[in-house]
Amino acid sequence: MKIKRDQLTGAVLVLLGIVVFLMTTTFSIPITASYPGPRMLPSIAAFGFVVCGLGIFVEGTMSKKEEKTFLVKEGWIRVLLTLVVIAAYIAGMTVVGYLITTPIILYVLTTMFAKGSKTTIKGRVIFSVAVAVIIYVIYVFAFGLTLPAGMLFD
Amino acid sequence: MFEYIPYIVSQIAQPFNLVLLFAATVIGLIFGAIPGLSGTLAVMLFMPLTYSMQAGPAVIFLIALWVGGCSGAFIGSVLLGIPGSASAVATCWDGYPMAQNGKAGKALAIGMVASFLGTFLSALFAALLSQKIADIAFAMGPWEYFSLCFVAITMVLAISKGNMFKGLASAAIGLLFASVGFSPIDAEPRFVFDNMYLMSGLGMTVVLIGIFGVARIVEEYGKGFGALPEVDTKSIKGLGITIKEIMSQGVNIVRSFLIGLGIGFLPGMGAGLSNLVAYSSAKNASKTPEQFGHGCPDGIWASEVSNNAAIGGSMIPMAALGIPGDSTTALLIGALTIHGLEMGPMVFKNSGNVVYLMFATVMVCAIVVLVLQALGMRVFPLILKVPYHYMYPALIIISFVSAYVDSSSLYKCGMMLVFVIIGILMSYGGLPTAPLILAFILGPTLESNMLKSFQYSGTAVTFFTRPISCIFMIIGIACVFSPVLRMAMEKMKGKKA
Repeated sequence: MKIKRDQLTGAVLVLLGIVVFLMTTTFSIPITASYPGPRMLPSIAAFGFVVCGLGIFVEGTMSKKEEKTFLVKEGWIRVLLTLVVIAAYIAGMTVVGYLITTPIILYVLTTMFAKGSKTTIKGRVIFSVAVAVIIYVIYVFAFGLTLPAGMLFD
Repeated sequence: MFEYIPYIVSQIAQPFNLVLLFAATVIGLIFGAIPGLSGTLAVMLFMPLTYSMQAGPAVIFLIALWVGGCSGAFIGSVLLGIPGSASAVATCWDGYPMAQNGKAGKALAIGMVASFLGTFLSALFAALLSQKIADIAFAMGPWEYFSLCFVAITMVLAISKGNMFKGLASAAIGLLFASVGFSPIDAEPRFVFDNMYLMSGLGMTVVLIGIFGVARIVEEYGKGFGALPEVDTKSIKGLGITIKEIMSQGVNIVRSFLIGLGIGFLPGMGAGLSNLVAYSSAKNASKTPEQFGHGCPDGIWASEVSNNAAIGGSMIPMAALGIPGDSTTALLIGALTIHGLEMGPMVFKNSGNVVYLMFATVMVCAIVVLVLQALGMRVFPLILKVPYHYMYPALIIISFVSAYVDSSSLYKCGMMLVFVIIGILMSYGGLPTAPLILAFILGPTLESNMLKSFQYSGTAVTFFTRPISCIFMIIGIACVFSPVLRMAMEKMKGKKA
């Protein structure tokens, strides 16, 4: 039997609710009728997760509607690739800083996103460098903020 | 109010602030016009830029982004038939057919003038009314504030289409995120895992840009970008609108304005709802309702006046009560707190000059938007031709730079990546984002007022024994169960029929 998306969502929410509730039991101040304390808000969230999770699960099970595909396999690969590139961007900024990493990552992302469109390498390189420099100038020179210099150059 | 005029003039007339105002208005217009982006996203992305500013320029910059975003939304509706944001959905219904009939210029001109009237007049009303509402708000205690926050969150659930459980689950996620860090009053560490970056809570920038911005871009890429839309700019000639035509829409304008102002004022609602209500009211009141949906100017007037009137409407509870009218004002409340402006009745005493600067900026922005749109009528539609493969990578980079600037730490960038993944998973599960935004931002206010209420009275009964609080609580509870009530009423109607 194929698991529906709503069933999965519901189950995950119920599980999350249980985990959150168990975590709230470790708080030092207990809930009392006269003062709910710091456990109350996360407990409301946990209760919400369990109730809504069950509701979504039951509705998903009862529903006879055909579920729309969220993403095809290639779509998931594209999403995963983008997340990997972003993770590489953060790692790159940590090591070599903003100015070196940003044009490279911008070029990679533009190339990935432009697949099937008419673009030139020259155009993408100019765009990547220009955007990285413009952002740097605005943040650093116009607003006096700092951007990562990188461990190697710190 | 008038004693602040010299301060307001000195702030707005400063060359740097003027540049900020123009730049932010243009950025807002671009974000508003492009389907998928919005003024809210613009405020989120560029908010960290204001951290190093004084309160005055920060207010000018953020408000200009917001007003630009609201005012630019109709461009996509008219020229593409795709609304720039939810606030311009009803504009599509007549704006696009009008453009298809070769009257794109006229449709755009109506959008411009209607946006201007809605924004300018609503800000004027907000400036006049906020102080009065704030005076009343002094009589309110933590019970009323708690119940108001409760209503704000639940009203979003009541108006959100689709599954009630999903809306509630999204709000629960927002509350959980709001719980991270030291609790108010008792300072109990919650979900911090001995991590110093979590002790002060999850940053608004990181959570909201991650879930609301970057996650959507990554998801769009996963689904595959469609072809760039065809934009017809040939039929745009002159303003094509006369004073007589504007006057003939007087009743429609006033009605739509009041609807926008009223809905904007209600906590948790905003332009996304007001344009739909005003459109249907205009249609119901029209002698020729059959023309609606086929390029009827009345429909564009109604939608655009009302969605922009919601700006001023939502500013009233924002300034006077510290309660957001919609998700953008929720963001603004958070952003202004960073600049030491605690919104609520006391703000008029402590920082009245900045509050009135806010209203004045909206009015100035309304004029700037009108002039920019009138001069750039042939240019602005070209915004819709910006290729996705250039726009989206630039936005991703700006998002992560914003996360870094938020605390000068790359740890926050890593956190944002986690929230991007959460955003994608939420979208996979069909969970809406609006309840999360409101619950996350209102969570701390909701909790601290709840705890204060219990400290004062020691019982939950007081929420129902104080009249104003009781009314809000009943409305809130009714909102939670509104989908069930609606279903029951529909069943009863069906049985009667």
